[in-house]
Amino acid sequence: MKVNGFFKDVTGANRVIKARRQLIQSGSPENIYKDHIREVAEEVHPKATHVRITKVEEVSPTARKFTFVPENGDVLPPFYAGQYCSVELSVKDEESGKTTVTTRPYSISSAPYQARQGEKSFFELTIRNGRPGQGFISSYLYENAHVGDHYTVHLPFGQFHYEPLRDAKHVLALAGGSGITPFYSMAQEIAHGSLDCDLTILYGSRDRKDIILVDELSRIESACDRVRFVNVLSDDPDYEGEKGFLSRDLIEKYSYGKPSEGQTTYFVCGPLPMYNFVSGELAALNVPAKRIRMEVFGAPRDITKATGYRIHKADKELPVNAEVAAYPEDQTETTYKLTVLRGLEKTVIDALSTEPLAVSLERAGIPNNTRCRSGACGYCRSKLVEGDVFVPDSGDGRRYADKKFGYVHACSTFPLGDCTIMIPIC
Amino acid sequence: MAFYKDKYDVIVIGGALAGMSCAMKLATEGKDVLVLERHNLPGGIATSFVRDGIEIEATLHEMMSIGSPENPLFIRQYLDEMKVAIDWLRVPEAYVFVSPEDHIDIELHAGRRPDGTWICADEIEAQYPGSRDDVNKLLEITKQVYESVLYLNEHSISKLETLKNHEALAKTAGYSAKEVIDKICPNMKKEVKQILAAYWIYVGQPLSTLPFTIYSFLMADYLLGGSYVARGFSHEMSVAMAERCMQLGVQMEFGQNVDKILVKNGRVYGVRTAHGEEIHCDYVASAPYPNTVYGKMIEPQSEVPAEARKYANAMPMSVSCFSVVLLLDAKPEDLNIHAYSVFSAETSMDTDKFWEQGKRLGNWDYLTTICLNYANPEGVPEGMTSLSITNLPLPECFDGVNADNYFETKDHIAGEMIDQVSKRLGVNLRDHIFDIEVETPVTISHYTSDYRGGIYGYQHSMDNSVVARLEDVSKEMYIKGLVGCASHQLVGDGMACNINNGKIAAKIILEEMQKAKEA
Repeated sequence: MKVNGFFKDVTGANRVIKARRQLIQSGSPENIYKDHIREVAEEVHPKATHVRITKVEEVSPTARKFTFVPENGDVLPPFYAGQYCSVELSVKDEESGKTTVTTRPYSISSAPYQARQGEKSFFELTIRNGRPGQGFISSYLYENAHVGDHYTVHLPFGQFHYEPLRDAKHVLALAGGSGITPFYSMAQEIAHGSLDCDLTILYGSRDRKDIILVDELSRIESACDRVRFVNVLSDDPDYEGEKGFLSRDLIEKYSYGKPSEGQTTYFVCGPLPMYNFVSGELAALNVPAKRIRMEVFGAPRDITKATGYRIHKADKELPVNAEVAAYPEDQTETTYKLTVLRGLEKTVIDALSTEPLAVSLERAGIPNNTRCRSGACGYCRSKLVEGDVFVPDSGDGRRYADKKFGYVHACSTFPLGDCTIMIPIC
Repeated sequence: MAFYKDKYDVIVIGGALAGMSCAMKLATEGKDVLVLERHNLPGGIATSFVRDGIEIEATLHEMMSIGSPENPLFIRQYLDEMKVAIDWLRVPEAYVFVSPEDHIDIELHAGRRPDGTWICADEIEAQYPGSRDDVNKLLEITKQVYESVLYLNEHSISKLETLKNHEALAKTAGYSAKEVIDKICPNMKKEVKQILAAYWIYVGQPLSTLPFTIYSFLMADYLLGGSYVARGFSHEMSVAMAERCMQLGVQMEFGQNVDKILVKNGRVYGVRTAHGEEIHCDYVASAPYPNTVYGKMIEPQSEVPAEARKYANAMPMSVSCFSVVLLLDAKPEDLNIHAYSVFSAETSMDTDKFWEQGKRLGNWDYLTTICLNYANPEGVPEGMTSLSITNLPLPECFDGVNADNYFETKDHIAGEMIDQVSKRLGVNLRDHIFDIEVETPVTISHYTSDYRGGIYGYQHSMDNSVVARLEDVSKEMYIKGLVGCASHQLVGDGMACNINNGKIAAKIILEEMQKAKEA
């Protein structure tokens, strides 16, 4: 064959070899390393941020708003209103003397622009006092976090935010309890002019004293005509505003156009019973699936009531589901052995059948990378080497190949017997 | 007890495809290997993500070098040999190429008959009569070059032997794809050349500077064996390889960022992680680019030779990526999408022009649109479409992007790309977005820390040709025991190529070990 003639063709290899050697010789012998994209990536996605509490405010009889500022030269990253922050906590149990290392995800309640204003940068978390038996760590922060305290946080995370290419120009927020916090962030960002959408917040509470951030949200409503704030009270017959639950009638009333037409995107954030109720109402209104955004809501409080749950006991496999109550109490909570492999280390700890593996690790003082604590984000992905576990459908954010090869998200995985897992060293 | 052994034979920095390929090859030779991956997943950008319970491919368009089980190509063979089990799915067509300004709209399929004729030559002939012979002739030459490159991948031979037995490779090695095509097929229609240039983006190099060697490899490999994806997305490839590594005794550690590569008297002796662990070894296979390695990882910096700095500073950086990943709430046919892989020239097809466009941000006219439904129907929920739109610009296009304008920039460019494709399809995709993720050079950097968000290593340009890289590979181990192991290495970019890069890195290390033993 011939391209340009025998001699030129056969010397081609030599030409390119020479060209490359010349190219390399033309390089600077100095260290001129610079990576602008890496710098942006590190600012947008910092590995960890050191912060200090500068202010604590009461924003309802049961909730406090904490203001955090960066320290040690750290810079707060930009984020989308609605995203969350994961707070590292180390909680010592006075009775046992044991220290639990854990993380908690909280929606950021301040506006994104407030985190990006030079020396005045801050962000806020609004935390409700947990009810007895619930939200143990929430209560801990509510009661024990003080001005001057230092924390390590990870932010931002989550997909619960307005996306202009995807969402309708009108957002109808369906909020319950502390689920109001991401919408306070959105409302402030809209009022600031840096988020381009209309926001109507339907906030369901039992009574007036349960409403969090009422003054703050009312102020924004009166100052910004793109934000509406509507309280809906279920247990206060004297209330003059909207009463009852976040029903289809109310949803329809505050939507732009018919809910089925897609002119409104529904953002839902609140406790599990509210999700279940609101999901049914949105389905009844034929809202297109792409117009519904749900925030994740943590692992089920009682795993034995989750659909498909089984209890293993004495080699017998008992179907449980709703019948769980028929079994004696002690059969629903069992302590198993959890063998933890980290690098070449092997540790054996206790794991309660009713708690996610991530919590058992934390109780044993073994850190693991939890972020969302709802099975979604996959940060705590671990290999299940041996044993049988239960992963609730509602918290199964695993990839196809991870299921195939036996990987689990520790924050959303419950042991059904003795298990061995391999987790990253951290 | 400690997390690590006192010493390993080899530490692999980066548990992506190249790193795992290298580790498994070394492990089959009985070497003691530690892989340190900074992310919590294996695979680097060969991965997927889940939104609302729906898994979405992050990056893979199509795997080359797989081939059918009956006629396996070399990466399938290698993975089979390594006992890595992956559920491969064949992509139905080679590609659709659309260029409205050039009045081109054609679908090509892979396949070569024993008589040396190619299915796509008939498909081109049907629209451009009189071009069949030229297409067959060109593809036969690419096949010869391809086979020679594969041979040289496994064997070292003399220049004379190369000229004698690998004539097509030897005689085209000094030329760009454009030069060879123009000379070999002087009467080929402009449109046919444009159609046959569509794969350029899989190297990111315009045809005027893309070595014919690389062009041949692309064309022959894809058009002989077709292309494949994995049932479990590219994440399945990554997890399957990670599993195999562990079965072979490789210690795989995730979430471990390597800060420093420790060097003494011109030789590596270990690494230090961000957690502060110092781990020792005889060899390091490095996914970080030489720029990052020599620029900030080698400790002490006085151990970096001037020649190494010259090398890293001179190497021309190849492309990064900007990808809009969409989940749409309608079936593909209802969105006027009828093929898996569509290359579209939104203005007249001209790879030099598109390459120049890659230096700036936005208004890119060469887009690759992948509709996963057509290759992996079970991977997409009923009634939905999984679609990605990609351009591969140069990292410098992000020079003006900072943390404050990043989100806005992302959305603006993504919107522009969605509108370009919508216009061509005659369907407004914005009305159907169920979910969207936008991947940028910053995203790449975030997940991999790769230099300037690069995904393709260094340019496959005429002055950085693979033939020249091969010639000098042994001279470029500037620090003893330190071997590159990613797309910046010999073979360059692409997932299949990176599996090969890893295998080559292992081979280099094994040879060095042998030499050390003999000495």
